[in-house]
Amino acid sequence: MIDGSTFWWYVTAACLAWFSTVTIYVAIRGGLDIKHMLRRLKALKQQNRDE
Amino acid sequence: MSNFTWIDGSIIAVYFALAMFAGLSVRKYIGKVEDFLVAGREMDVYLGVASLAATEFGIVTCMSSAELGYKHGFAGAVAGVCGFLAMLFIGLTGFCVRPLRESGVMTIPELFEKRFGSKIRWWSGVVIVLGGLLNMGVFLRTGGEFLVIVCDIDKQYLEITMTVMLVAVGVYTIVGGMLSVLVTDYLQFLVMSVGMLVVTVLTLMNIPWETLASTVESNYGAGGFNPFVNPNIGWTYIIFQMLVNAAAMLTWQTTIARLLSAKDAKTGQKVYTRTSFFFVCQFVIPGIWGIAALATLGPGIVPTSHAMPTFLAQTAWPLGVTGLLVAAMLAADMSTDSSYMLTWGSVIYNDLMAPFRKTRWSEPRGLAWNRTIIALIGLFLLVYGLWYPLQQEIWTYLTVTGTIYLASMSTLLVAACYWPRANSWGAAGAITLGALIPFAYLVFEAIPVTREAALNIGAERAGIAAFVGAGLAMVLGSYLKPGSSVRIA
Repeated sequence: MIDGSTFWWYVTAACLAWFSTVTIYVAIRGGLDIKHMLRRLKALKQQNRDE
Repeated sequence: MSNFTWIDGSIIAVYFALAMFAGLSVRKYIGKVEDFLVAGREMDVYLGVASLAATEFGIVTCMSSAELGYKHGFAGAVAGVCGFLAMLFIGLTGFCVRPLRESGVMTIPELFEKRFGSKIRWWSGVVIVLGGLLNMGVFLRTGGEFLVIVCDIDKQYLEITMTVMLVAVGVYTIVGGMLSVLVTDYLQFLVMSVGMLVVTVLTLMNIPWETLASTVESNYGAGGFNPFVNPNIGWTYIIFQMLVNAAAMLTWQTTIARLLSAKDAKTGQKVYTRTSFFFVCQFVIPGIWGIAALATLGPGIVPTSHAMPTFLAQTAWPLGVTGLLVAAMLAADMSTDSSYMLTWGSVIYNDLMAPFRKTRWSEPRGLAWNRTIIALIGLFLLVYGLWYPLQQEIWTYLTVTGTIYLASMSTLLVAACYWPRANSWGAAGAITLGALIPFAYLVFEAIPVTREAALNIGAERAGIAAFVGAGLAMVLGSYLKPGSSVRIA
């Protein structure tokens, strides 16, 4: 059985690890998501115009 | 005295310029109302994670989480654990959110019309807008107070600071809608994360973990670590937090907007699953700042919500860290404000104005109305944010105002998706009781004569009563009305 201080130390460490990992991942993959989203919206807008 | 320098100011100016540029540059991609409100439903997983996290974390959230840490120790973060468990469960199972996304609606009341009729759609919209705008009403003031304390700005400039920030957010939200919100959320999530990580690591380097733990131990004993034995938290609080968080993950329009903007239900569920742990982070990390304030300033800061910003202002950070911190908090607040303005506006346009659209409106007309509504919401926020005096803990205010709609809307959503017997009588009863109980509590708490009685009942008991009342009203009302409806799931 771990004490309260140790438990919350692990939770805090997990939060910092989650934030660091997700920030790097989101920086790369989220940027690509934006690029693809804008490309698709541009194509859809063009398609609507053609119709 | 704050150690705010011109380097800090430059960091904030660069962030501000980047956010405005990003927000305004996507205007050309907006062609239809659907593009404006749900980004053409083209959002993918990682942009969704950034957007959902950035939206659900503002200065008000940061200050309320820090206040909980300052007042209750580590145990104050239990609300974040409840949020994490609720979002993880919903993301993994697709409970309610799968049928909601697959129905192709833009707002929750639109779904209710399919099950309960147009009147229930309209009244659901009223409750959602009322609860949402009251909830958002304190964002500006708390955000302004944070900036005034941390940047050491003269208090007379509080209103001007708030107005400038709101106008900036309003401009790019009005121009680009959800598309601007998503793109700026991405940038704001990155700035916010870096700022929070740097400040937390530096705080833990300045104040050793043993000092934080012993501070909590000496002020709150075992209750500072274990929420179940904390006299100010306990089972009632935790049950209420579980209910509120589960309901918020299912029906809080700003959260659901990410699900409805996703490419499909599967993508929406992935966004939920991968963002879920953020809810622990958004309580634990500012909670650490609140405990650090308790360790350095002592327990006497009034109001308690000012303890954390005072600690941040009085700490001698390395050059540029204050600027990074303020940019991070501005990012957090701007992303929240923009998303909230857009989503409450979307309910006003899509649901409250539905009876007035006898014929199909043209896309330019729809866009013009949406933009006007967002501008009016901004004006309301400015006025409400300036005069409403906060009577209680920030988090308590947020959960009680949220419950005005969370109790009834979550009951309606679960019933609409999974209970074929549910009908408009049950829905009307759930809306009435679910909204009336928390609203009455807020009113009684504000009136001096009844304030004592309201405090004896407690916000948590009033909140639980709203959920129980809404559920019972749904069941009783549905059984009282002859005939039954068809399920959508």
